[in-house]
Amino acid sequence: MTRRVVVTGLGVVAPGGLGVPAFWDMLTAGRTATRGITLFDAARFRSRIAAECDFDPVACGLTAEQIERSDRYVQFALVAATEAMRDAGITPEGSGAKDPWRIGVSMGSAVAASTRLEQDYVKVSESGARWDVDHRRAGPYLHHAFSPSALASGVAELAGAHGPVQTVSTGCTSGLDAIGYAFQTIEENRADVCVAGAADTPVTPLTVACFDSIKATSTNNDDPAHASRPFDAHRDGFVLGEGAAVLVLEELEHARARGAHAYCEFKGFATYGNAYHMTGLTQEGLEMSEAINHALGHARIDGTEIDYVNAHGSGTKQNDRHETAAVKRSLGAHAYKTPMSSIKSMVGHSLGAIGAIELAACALALAHGVVPPTANYETPDPECDLDYVPRTARALPLRNVLSVGSGFGGFQSAVVLSRAGGAA
Amino acid sequence: MSRQFAHQELAALMKKCAGLTVDPAALAGSPEMTFTEFGLDSLGLLAIVGELENHYGTPIEPGAESCKTPNDFIDVINASITAGA
Amino acid sequence: MSVSRGAARARGAVVTGLGVIAPNGVGTDAFWKATREGISFLDRLTRPGSENFPVRVAGQIRGFDPATMIEERLLVQTDRFTHIALAAADLALEDSRLPVDDLSPFAVGVVTAAGSGGGEFGQRELQQLYGKGPRHVGPFQSIAWFYAASTGQVSIRGGFKGPCGVVADDEAGGLDALAHARRSIRHGADAIVAGATEAGLAPYSMVCQLGWRELSRAREAGRAYLPFTTDACGFVPGEGGAMFVVEEEGAARRRGVPIRGFISGYGATFTGASRWEESREGLARAIRVALDDAQCAPEEIDVVFADALGVPEADRAEALAIADALGPHGTRVPVTAPKTGFGRAHCAAPTLDVAAAVLAMEHRMVPPTPYVTDVCHELDLVTRSPRPAEPRCALVLSRGLMGYNAALVLRGPEGDM
Repeated sequence: MTRRVVVTGLGVVAPGGLGVPAFWDMLTAGRTATRGITLFDAARFRSRIAAECDFDPVACGLTAEQIERSDRYVQFALVAATEAMRDAGITPEGSGAKDPWRIGVSMGSAVAASTRLEQDYVKVSESGARWDVDHRRAGPYLHHAFSPSALASGVAELAGAHGPVQTVSTGCTSGLDAIGYAFQTIEENRADVCVAGAADTPVTPLTVACFDSIKATSTNNDDPAHASRPFDAHRDGFVLGEGAAVLVLEELEHARARGAHAYCEFKGFATYGNAYHMTGLTQEGLEMSEAINHALGHARIDGTEIDYVNAHGSGTKQNDRHETAAVKRSLGAHAYKTPMSSIKSMVGHSLGAIGAIELAACALALAHGVVPPTANYETPDPECDLDYVPRTARALPLRNVLSVGSGFGGFQSAVVLSRAGGAA
Repeated sequence: MSRQFAHQELAALMKKCAGLTVDPAALAGSPEMTFTEFGLDSLGLLAIVGELENHYGTPIEPGAESCKTPNDFIDVINASITAGA
Repeated sequence: MSVSRGAARARGAVVTGLGVIAPNGVGTDAFWKATREGISFLDRLTRPGSENFPVRVAGQIRGFDPATMIEERLLVQTDRFTHIALAAADLALEDSRLPVDDLSPFAVGVVTAAGSGGGEFGQRELQQLYGKGPRHVGPFQSIAWFYAASTGQVSIRGGFKGPCGVVADDEAGGLDALAHARRSIRHGADAIVAGATEAGLAPYSMVCQLGWRELSRAREAGRAYLPFTTDACGFVPGEGGAMFVVEEEGAARRRGVPIRGFISGYGATFTGASRWEESREGLARAIRVALDDAQCAPEEIDVVFADALGVPEADRAEALAIADALGPHGTRVPVTAPKTGFGRAHCAAPTLDVAAAVLAMEHRMVPPTPYVTDVCHELDLVTRSPRPAEPRCALVLSRGLMGYNAALVLRGPEGDM
């Protein structure tokens, strides 16, 4: 018997939108959160813009101990997970899920504790002066920063979860993959509930410098609010972001038995490699198309039944072309009739976190019947010739939604979500 | 005017920055051959551009990393470092 | 609580190739020879820049020259953990004789576990950034340091476009990677190159780990890593790892290659960072789930590869977990921990145990636990010399410092029932 999986809780920490209501309001208003970098002095960098979160861990309810132990990305995840579990009606104190051994956690991150790893490096190396770093200058929880597993571990502690726990790190598809794996974990009957999502806080000197050096980020430093321009002919790279999102995934009968509200059903997931290049993408989009086809197959949904595509839409020249080609390859003529938008135009590209943030947006889109727009889209690019929902959100009854992602390392992932309450 | 940056220098940088062993004479002797055919990918070329920028202390013009062949690249680099000097 | 099997019976996951690069041996033969004899390879930590650290003993790979196995073009753009992954993947593919050219590229995937990333590469680039400025950070930092580097590079080098994944779990992640490989085979893949390799001994990486009280501070190699004894004083860090070719059983049988073992069952739980007493229940439950998944009775387990952390309360919890899950059989079954001879390398630690388990079944010999002599728990720990046996089913255990517990049941070539 196939076990079906629904989404019963959402939590989001996104630039310009802490918490689900603010996040959804921002997306549907088409507001952008990209701005000049404030987290450090970026004067010497090529790209000096990012989508940052105005995040106060104390105001968000974290304890002094949680703040001390956790790098910024884990703090984001803890706040998002708290919101998602409350929303789902699942708390460690007991209501909702009965058996902690049947609660799993699956969290993704591409670069994990880059904030603390970098800050402590400066101290122990005396600002890069020495290779034989001085361990006595290191902070007390640097070992937690070094372990990417601290992310899922921290969320599991918060959730009181004792089931399968994992941290997934597949570059920029980490969020989709972590949630996809959570879906498989429930499907395989290894858990009834999975707290799943992703977090990344990469707005740090090293990460900004390494994207500078490969010229992947936008240098529209004079107009940060309009710098992230997915699918627009004048796009010039992505805008780095930060954030976290957590979804509570739950086995359908388990959710029904406790009368939980479902945003949507999680129907299909697939991930493939392109075996092409660590950062490059093919023109044809064959591998992403393969992932889309398998996710649709898993969901038992035909491509023509997809009503909205949530794009990876990073805003680099090659990505947006690649992705347009992949979607056309999988959906055929239907692609031209299907709205496809990139919320990275508003919240930037938070690497591993963004896939989870995008799935949260998809769940909200299905629940509200509203498609978020691609902000800043003005000038069509002949090579990107689909309906990118320019600047204004669109009310539209949605049955099935496809979300796709691409990551450094060649990862290509696709997820299919459907309106809750449908037939198997 | 003697060119500061020629096939010899490019071959040395291909080795240093991208781990490729290429004969400078082969770079010079096969003007049609692309960087891809010599085994150099986009990141390798970016590494060379970065190395040159740091070495000469001058920005290399933006088109350099999209040059397809060694000769095109050498022209762009010489133009940049002459202008910057 | 039974894990759903469904199509699992139809599509079993078997190991057909091993590639090992470890402090006690580069290549499967060298690794097995040293492991079987219990030759110890722990040594003074000699990585330049590590001289003043309170951790003095480590397992370091000495005989591995990546330039003999990997193109210089790739060496320049990758960290040591990926050098090891590329080399180990090559060895595994060669060992399995996987007919890569005859398979659809979408039928072969790659899954690795990575818990420490490209630390040495990252430290070099951090030094460039803070010593010289942002323009001195090179383009390869964006693809060398992150945890996904090895899966990406192995996939590209082999042309493998199938399901690709990376788990950045702690130690238990190595078993999780194999469980993911098995899942992908169930879902239709023909083969997955899976495993974990780590190189977390660069100075800054070591500094980042010194906060773990579980790390051994002993100054002598012979006293540094003594799990299950009254002298237990922590674990010794290591590097290296193993990659495997995990293949669909039917495909392996059709091409007539030797099946080296079946990935038959897997279970995972979480009980909190450094809460070792609670890991007893967590590990016991993981074992029960794995046994149930494998449809394996406790008495069928012929050998246990222990997590063997070397911390008294963790060792006690593990001994009790084995007893809880296996019953009276738990005190009779041979238990071993070859890793005391070469250290624990994050996610790679249990992959070396899986390699040792496959080889133990093949060579009918349970390898010993180097350095350990007097065991203070109710366990039949194999010490001093290898023990002839006919293991047909192995249980591999792993726990992570951040609280993960995992168990993997591996059956020998005689197979799944």
